[in-house]
Amino acid sequence: MATILGKSNSGAAMGRSIPRVEAQAKVTGKAEYVHNLRLPGMLYGKVYRSTVAHARIRGIDVSAAQAVPGVYAVYTAADIIKLIPEPYYGPAFHDQPILAVDKVHHVGEPVALVLAADPHVAEAAAQLIDADYEELPAVFDEVEAMTSKAIVHEVLKPAGTFPDLKHLKGKRDTNIALDFHLRRGDAQKAFAEADHVFEHTFRTQQVLHVPLEPFVTVADPTPNQLVIHTASQSPSFVRIEIARLLGWAENKVRVKVPYLGGGFGAKLYIKTEALTAAAALLAGRPVKIALTMEEQFYQITKHAATLRIKSGVTKEGKVTARECEVWWNGGAYADIGPRVTQKSGFTAPGPYDIDHVSIDSYALYTNLPAAGALRGFGIPQLVWAYESHTDMIAKALNIDPLAIRRKNILREGRPQATGTLMRDAGIEKVLERLAERMNWEKAFDRVVVDNGKGTLRRGRGIAIGFKASISPTTSVAIVNVSADGSCMVYCSTVDMGQGSDTAMAQFAAEALGIPVESVTVVHPDTDVTPYDMATLGSRSTYHMGHAVKLAAEDARDKLMQLAKDVGLSAETTPIPDIFRKKYGMQAGNIVGIGSYIPTYTSPDASGQTDNATPFWMIGATGAEVEVDTETGEFKITRLVNLVDVGRPVNPAIVETQISGATMMQLGFTLFERMDFDAGQCTNASLADYKIPGIRDVPLVMENEAVDMVQQSGPFGAKGVGESGTFGVSPAIASAIDDAVGVRLTSLPLTAEAVYRGLRAQAGKPLED
Amino acid sequence: MTPFELAEPRSLQDALALLNTDDPSVRAFGGCTALMLMMKTGVFQPTCLVSLRGVEPQHAAIQSDSGVLRIGALATLTAIGGSAMVRKAAPVITHAMQTLSNVRVRNVATLGGHLAHGDPHMDLPPVMIALDAELTAVSVKGARTLAIADLFTGYYETALAKNELISEVRIPSQAGRRSAYIKCTTRTADDWPALGVAVSFATDGKVIQDARVVVSAATEKAVRLRDAEAVLNGATVSDAVLTRAGEAAAAEAEVVGDARGSAAYKREMLRVYAARAVKQALAA
Repeated sequence: MATILGKSNSGAAMGRSIPRVEAQAKVTGKAEYVHNLRLPGMLYGKVYRSTVAHARIRGIDVSAAQAVPGVYAVYTAADIIKLIPEPYYGPAFHDQPILAVDKVHHVGEPVALVLAADPHVAEAAAQLIDADYEELPAVFDEVEAMTSKAIVHEVLKPAGTFPDLKHLKGKRDTNIALDFHLRRGDAQKAFAEADHVFEHTFRTQQVLHVPLEPFVTVADPTPNQLVIHTASQSPSFVRIEIARLLGWAENKVRVKVPYLGGGFGAKLYIKTEALTAAAALLAGRPVKIALTMEEQFYQITKHAATLRIKSGVTKEGKVTARECEVWWNGGAYADIGPRVTQKSGFTAPGPYDIDHVSIDSYALYTNLPAAGALRGFGIPQLVWAYESHTDMIAKALNIDPLAIRRKNILREGRPQATGTLMRDAGIEKVLERLAERMNWEKAFDRVVVDNGKGTLRRGRGIAIGFKASISPTTSVAIVNVSADGSCMVYCSTVDMGQGSDTAMAQFAAEALGIPVESVTVVHPDTDVTPYDMATLGSRSTYHMGHAVKLAAEDARDKLMQLAKDVGLSAETTPIPDIFRKKYGMQAGNIVGIGSYIPTYTSPDASGQTDNATPFWMIGATGAEVEVDTETGEFKITRLVNLVDVGRPVNPAIVETQISGATMMQLGFTLFERMDFDAGQCTNASLADYKIPGIRDVPLVMENEAVDMVQQSGPFGAKGVGESGTFGVSPAIASAIDDAVGVRLTSLPLTAEAVYRGLRAQAGKPLED
Repeated sequence: MTPFELAEPRSLQDALALLNTDDPSVRAFGGCTALMLMMKTGVFQPTCLVSLRGVEPQHAAIQSDSGVLRIGALATLTAIGGSAMVRKAAPVITHAMQTLSNVRVRNVATLGGHLAHGDPHMDLPPVMIALDAELTAVSVKGARTLAIADLFTGYYETALAKNELISEVRIPSQAGRRSAYIKCTTRTADDWPALGVAVSFATDGKVIQDARVVVSAATEKAVRLRDAEAVLNGATVSDAVLTRAGEAAAAEAEVVGDARGSAAYKREMLRVYAARAVKQALAA
């Protein structure tokens, strides 16, 4: 039956668990990835990396590598500069060189590149390169970096790319890339007047994304354009930044992105693209650079952080004042760390209604691999601190963890620390639904009697966090209705496994009132698909969702006008008949355009703004654990995850986003930690850096999106990719404390740390 | 990884001939799971790898021979884990296999490689020592028999000569004996253990006899703990005896710390796990 506009949508497209459009291609191994791309005449690049954390480069001897049969070329910064005189890139600061210039800033920094037609030859030759270094004092700890004499970057060059980071200057002769300050009320006065003042310090460790598809780029210098095929979450940014580096027009660079084997925030901005592009142009041949799993450990990571929180509290448990100091370990390059510092910084007091707030948040350079965006964008670190702090206060005042949260949470319409009023933020709903699912107000048996050893104790914990969306950012979409009524969506949102192709098809189908099966989504290609800021920060559903909806509505209006022009009614005429009447045959297109940017007000000098974010993301976790008091080992027997995602676009995908985010954060909570020795990562492989597998999934895991509607969202929807990460770490730590009275303040939560706590509690600390 | 020659001999004799060289960059592999990790990190750069996967199938056979369980060195861990014969003769092996690494490794890794690698974190060395198993090592010069208790000489070091291969493992009858293997994994479930403890003993009524207590992973090599065994031998099991056995084990073992746990913590775990292993064996 032919499609009729607005009529052929058998049940709405929104809110249905439509199977992912790419599922079959992926499970049959037919989905397209950059790793599979081979071009005629293509060379493979292998990177030679720094072995020291901080040093001046005295010289680089590439002669032995050049002499290897089959080596096409060996490049250092001296070669890059001939093509790109200012070879520095970065979204916040232009601080990252394509290849190290004069100095190296961390172990693993690219120093030279070998090109060969045979990747094994390139690898063997890269091992023959020898750099001579004059080592410099290095700094690794974020708190030490505040006052360290070792300065990672002598000169700081703000990028000035993004409107929310226009104020960046950096502090010369320090390691501070950005310092963010927020003052609301008078925290010092409130501390003086408080019944109780609590202060705790928390730590999180450096971890990384480990997408199972490592970074990969192919650059192809065609006669008219440089074509870049890359596993990137931000094709529009890549095009603009590569064009800027080369001094070219945007349309001389074409960026194409097929599917991604995971991104999680790693594949944003420039990663392998600039080096691959420069090498291809220097060589005049297509070049592929595909990092190994092991090399990923030097590319981009998640911030380690130290977080100090101080609260003034009444004897009834009402928090009257909060002071937060956060030091973010950004590693050698700022990447997007300054935005983590600011955007996450302003939610540091947590989802609580506190009159007097003081926040100081610092993005710091150190001589470690750079840190950037990773699923949650700093929020999991903050929630770890403020929710642990909340429970430590509750315990000290003998108040139930749910009761202290009920007393203090930010309710609808109340001002957050920035002064922005909470709208469509299901904080209360998420908390209450979590309490209900956890049977929190029923008795909980902490002793396990039947394990035969009598050594197990049970405990439970809850935690809730929230996140602002990134703002202001732009998404543009095109919806193209063909003469047979089928429809294509052109957008630069990258489907990296989160299901955005399916969601965008649903938005277009819903707006046009046509079957979702008749919609396809064109993958990012900057010659074809219009601008999008990037696929990050759970922004695509909201921002690109709006753009696709607007584009579809534009197409619908044009189609109705077309029908009217030829004397038909689009409400009763099948779409193909309208085109046929107009063109006399199956011909023509209707093209709708949608462009979306939400409103935003920049914070003032005190961090205050009436419009900090287009929407809020809420996530909470409840954990039940069993702790073995003889060994410190613990088992998560139940994990309950509640989120507010507005109206779920696709409930099945929403559930996998919640569980996926939760499992990822579970790895960061329990196992994952990059170990360093003098700046050298000593466990840079999946053999030694352990990520969770199927047997690490908690015995019971429940995921739920509460019944909410984001009034400002497309069809009531908002982002979902990160909310499942928020509450995981503190909920588990609190459950351990509830079970055995051991409070851990550093991640990861290891059995050994619990055991040491138990021994200290017994007055017999474990001696090494 | 740099290119290398791959040899695929069709017989064990041909494989042994290829391995009869002083060149340390020539090595044999069964499943190549461990060697591959070493090659990826550049620790080992082969010029020639000798695949044992194409040699005579009898070297992967599992047989029972007058009470002795004979497992060909090329039997995969999955084959051993699923073997009814193994389950009947030594259920402790079947049980250990369920959590040994992951299914992808078990499907290709072989018993011979698992033992010959000399990695103290492997699960079967302590089990095999506790079961008093022996192996046959072959080379172009002939065959010899070696107790698995004597196989491990140090951290990634074994008593095998460079050109020797394990061809078979033999486990004597376990009639009248009880065994257990438990391990402490401090990171993901499929990580290498921080500690492994295998025990095996005979019981005469309630009295323990001929006990073998073996520690692995926390030490440089899998090794018997004679003091703990002495506590158990001739004793009737009680909480006090188990506590003393655990303490003896912790005092005796030369525990080393690493990313999976400090030496102090692992020593405490050995104390607890040794006692629990005995309890588990009694309950089996």
